[in-house]
Amino acid sequence: MKEAHVESSSGCIMGFVRRIQLVTHWMRMPQAGIALRFAMGFIATAIYLMPLFWMVSTSLKPQSEIFHTPPVLIPSHPQIDSYRSAVGLPTNRPELYITGALYFKNSFIIAASTMLLTLALAIPAAYALSRFNFRGKTIFMLFLLVAQMLPGVLLVIPLFVLFKMFSLYNTHLSVILADTALALPFAIIILRTSFFQIPDALEEAGLIDGATRLQVLWYIILPLIRASLVAVGVFSFLTAWGEFVFALSFLAKPELQPISIGVFQFIGMYKTQWDTMMAFSTLVAIPAVVALLFLQRQFISGLTSGSVK
Amino acid sequence: MAFSSIGNDIKDIKASFFKGKLTPYFYILPSGLFLFVVLGFPILYSVFMSFQKYTLETLVSRQTQFIGFKNYFDVLGDPAFATALQHSLVFTIASIFFQFTIGLGLAILFSKAFPLSNMMRGLLLSGWQIPSVVTGTLFLFLFNLDYGLINFVLTSLHIIAEPIGWIVQSDTALPAVIIANVWLGIPFNLILLSAGVMGLPEDVYEAATVDGANGLQKLIYITIPLLKSTILAVLMLGFIYTLRVFDLIWIITKGGPGSATEVLPTFAYRLSFINFNFGRSAAVSVIMLLILLGGAILYLRAITEEERL
Repeated sequence: MKEAHVESSSGCIMGFVRRIQLVTHWMRMPQAGIALRFAMGFIATAIYLMPLFWMVSTSLKPQSEIFHTPPVLIPSHPQIDSYRSAVGLPTNRPELYITGALYFKNSFIIAASTMLLTLALAIPAAYALSRFNFRGKTIFMLFLLVAQMLPGVLLVIPLFVLFKMFSLYNTHLSVILADTALALPFAIIILRTSFFQIPDALEEAGLIDGATRLQVLWYIILPLIRASLVAVGVFSFLTAWGEFVFALSFLAKPELQPISIGVFQFIGMYKTQWDTMMAFSTLVAIPAVVALLFLQRQFISGLTSGSVK
Repeated sequence: MAFSSIGNDIKDIKASFFKGKLTPYFYILPSGLFLFVVLGFPILYSVFMSFQKYTLETLVSRQTQFIGFKNYFDVLGDPAFATALQHSLVFTIASIFFQFTIGLGLAILFSKAFPLSNMMRGLLLSGWQIPSVVTGTLFLFLFNLDYGLINFVLTSLHIIAEPIGWIVQSDTALPAVIIANVWLGIPFNLILLSAGVMGLPEDVYEAATVDGANGLQKLIYITIPLLKSTILAVLMLGFIYTLRVFDLIWIITKGGPGSATEVLPTFAYRLSFINFNFGRSAAVSVIMLLILLGGAILYLRAITEEERL
């Protein structure tokens, strides 16, 4: 309507030219532009996924196809002996990795304990940081932000010395404690933002009805943020599941070692069992990929709220 | 002044106790104590160790000997430290450059609608939580001299004439671990930059299109300036997370061949767990910590700036 009232002829022409430009832009863009974007997205995704595809494909190949030139993309006769071998089940092969399943068991113990310990410590801390104002709150938050950036290598040297002194060397507990220290700061930051989304009124109602704060937290608030609790729990689990440097340094006994150390048993002096190693790696990667597919939204909002905002 | 303020503090705390204002501290205490014991104290202990003659014997006798800055002078005078520092800088800058460029390109691509874009973006994130031990063994296989996929692709495309012994050759080992690390870091950059790109106002781009700006001009004059604080935060986080990378390098090359991929974390680890010179290793850790703290301060400044906007 406004354009109709423009008196100046030059203004009119300029406006007309601009509109033409816009129209041709929209006419040109969709067809060619969308096809181009699709192609670019497809190529980028394909290149990115190639290593993972190669891992799974190799794990299923018969020995003859692993070293084939040109490389075989999809195994012609998939075999799962590599998976049996990776978890220590008997196969027709000369190599026997009897400790395969043990590594997974150890990793599970370490990861599950880390998850429980992280949640137990993070929930009350995050709750306090979201509900109360108190002296030292800002410093504590700042400490958390810096703490989640500390490198594992920086911790592993003093912790090794301390664990030796307190006889925690060669125990699962040593790795669980160290892994929890890695997961906890991030867990608190994420849970704090989810507590913010629960209205205070809900809590006050509970308090007026005579419940204690802990009861309100346990029976009213935690069920409401269970999606975040699951995400934080899975995140802590995964932090410990594949953790490498603490396990490498604190666990010298093979029967205590997790998957991140166990994977090296397939590298031999003269020969590396690539298919078994890739089968083992696939099994290690599965929980991480599955978790990401199901919890993508929570993980992404957690990362963005925890690090950029 | 100081005394009266301490007096007031004590009064405050007393008053708080009776009014239930100490409650927040009960919630914070478990996490605070845990993080102090497993994170804060080890860091302090590292600083302490860096001023001592601290070797394997010390671990047994528990008799430390103060030697002032000798560890620092030894480290700074060691050509191996200079090499590790240089590799760390090359590794970090090159990794960030490619991760960030690819991440930003993909974030812009996926901010526009095209078929299957959501699915592709989801798949591009699938490797995000995969343990670096899996990435490590996977790239160990991909970079293999005789039957690695990367050599096959590059020779087929005639980019290289002969297969390269990527990780066994000293001039290609560092590029190889950088490539593996770039792959590992793409999801992280994509997520954080996507969040920023999605929040950009669309009308600015429409106006620019009308004014005849091309894609590159829009990127340089609109996207990058508007995303300034997000970009700064992503770069600083990238710097912190990349400088501390240990597991990926240790798994693929152990810092070798020779010292071709020795970075500060692997150098510190080697000093402790192979040479058993914990004091000198702690000195390297403290130097690394100072560099990281510099990065953390810049990062915190970047995110607080964003909050103000």
